[in-house]
Amino acid sequence: MNPYDLLPRFKAQYDANSQEFSISGVVRPQAIDELGPSIALLRDAIGRVRGVLYVNVRRLTQMNNAAFHAFSRIILDACRARPDLKFIVITSSVVGWTSRKFGRLSGIEPNITVEEYDSEFYPGQGFLEEGGFVPILRTQTKMTWRHERAILPRHGMRPGIVMADICCGIGDFAVLVQKEFQPSRIVALDHSRSSLAYARNVAAEFDIKGIEYTYGDASEMLLEENQFDLVTCRHSLQVFNKPELILRELFRICKPGGRVYITNEKNSHCLGEPRADSIQWTYNEVAKLWAHFQMDIELGPKSKRYLTEAGLEDIRVESFMVTNHDGDPQDFADVIAAWENVYAGEMATKRGDTPAFIRRFRQGFQDHIFAALHSKGYAGWPIWVASGRKPL
Amino acid sequence: MGTVHHHLAGESAFEPMIQIDMEIKAFVSAWKHCDYVSTYMARMVSRNRSDSVRHSNLFSSAFNELLEVAFRTRHADGELACRVSRHGATDRIELTFPCVPEERQFYEQAVSLVAGSEVRERYLNSVSGDLAPSREVVLLELAMDYNATLRVEEADGDAIKLVVDLPLEGLH
Repeated sequence: MNPYDLLPRFKAQYDANSQEFSISGVVRPQAIDELGPSIALLRDAIGRVRGVLYVNVRRLTQMNNAAFHAFSRIILDACRARPDLKFIVITSSVVGWTSRKFGRLSGIEPNITVEEYDSEFYPGQGFLEEGGFVPILRTQTKMTWRHERAILPRHGMRPGIVMADICCGIGDFAVLVQKEFQPSRIVALDHSRSSLAYARNVAAEFDIKGIEYTYGDASEMLLEENQFDLVTCRHSLQVFNKPELILRELFRICKPGGRVYITNEKNSHCLGEPRADSIQWTYNEVAKLWAHFQMDIELGPKSKRYLTEAGLEDIRVESFMVTNHDGDPQDFADVIAAWENVYAGEMATKRGDTPAFIRRFRQGFQDHIFAALHSKGYAGWPIWVASGRKPL
Repeated sequence: MGTVHHHLAGESAFEPMIQIDMEIKAFVSAWKHCDYVSTYMARMVSRNRSDSVRHSNLFSSAFNELLEVAFRTRHADGELACRVSRHGATDRIELTFPCVPEERQFYEQAVSLVAGSEVRERYLNSVSGDLAPSREVVLLELAMDYNATLRVEEADGDAIKLVVDLPLEGLH
């Protein structure tokens, strides 16, 4: 039998707690009979719910017209039979056709509304990925690349591989990888349209070919399973409130025998001399601040646990320290100034911190900058690198 | 609505990208061939689009519907030819497949309806109606949801060629 026949092509589920019917995968039946159990499940769900039934098609990658008509028919009939019932169809901004196609239904029955799911479900990311943070992201990548270019080959990077960089941000890591290691293909995914636009502009300006920048949600990617030799996800698990959902996707798209590579921080271990105590206090507070917004900037040393629990094997973990001695100390200082701006600015304000707290909070960043620029000073920012192999 | 008012670009401007030919008998021997062919060709032609994954998903979605139309042909012999070419932001699918004279007439009529002014109404009536979707609806939906432009061209023998222009790169 062809392995294709063994793959479950789609899945329908009903969650009574959230009154949500969801259907995911590729739904391309030849005859409606093939949908029998799913249709029965939807009918049953409609019979049970009161008020609202959510129809979740966020992970529906394909659905042919025959199937669309069959499911629509049931929903439209239910609208007529039960005017008390409302349907909210949740589509994905990533799957281009779903909002257009399902959106037609609201034009037929006003009790059907269509809502496009987007990134707002990730509580803290908005602070970090839009607007003015771009220059500092470039500087950060420049600083970490000095270390990672030597580290990456120990984690599966080599010429000719097919790789994915998930949560690629402004795409600069992908560009550096392409220049240094010449993979045969790089797919770089992010769900910030502004970051991708920046990445595409850079690629066009510098005539960089071979990197496919794509819009997507890292926890629910359109990318097919088992297709990448190396899947990288840098400084991103720490930003998500449910990193295990991302890891499940990284694992899924990785080839058996390929590796998933992650980098993360433990910000409370940022350090500096002189003024070590003030610096340490502030970075301990950074960890608490991130936790308040459901992000874990302390994730780095937990990498082995996360990778193991994701089902990966042959876990390799190492760490490196970005310091003011690596290159231009001003680069280090600029990064810290940007952190201060976001953490002691928008984030602390949003948490409702007092002016006295914010003053002390800022002082630690200023002391870190002082240490970085001091002729006898030392300033450090530790990063944890980890990778695991997907079992054959 | 802005669906069917594009002008077809000149023939010479379209650069061929990929073509798959197969016996119609082989093609209709398994339904999943529609999915295979649409997924494979979508992946191949989307690599150098600004968002390859999104483009591939959209292209596969539209192309699969066309292949499902061809799959239901009542003519048992001949060749299926799928050809994709490109001009700027538009990808052109040329799908040639054998059909009986009544089917040819049906497609010509259906395509003329797609070019008409009541596409949206026809489509919504069809979705809200009780009958299973016809092949006409599939073509209407391509115009509605993918801003496709369609026409029918002469083909050799008992065959028809559907020419569908898909401006997916600019679809938001």
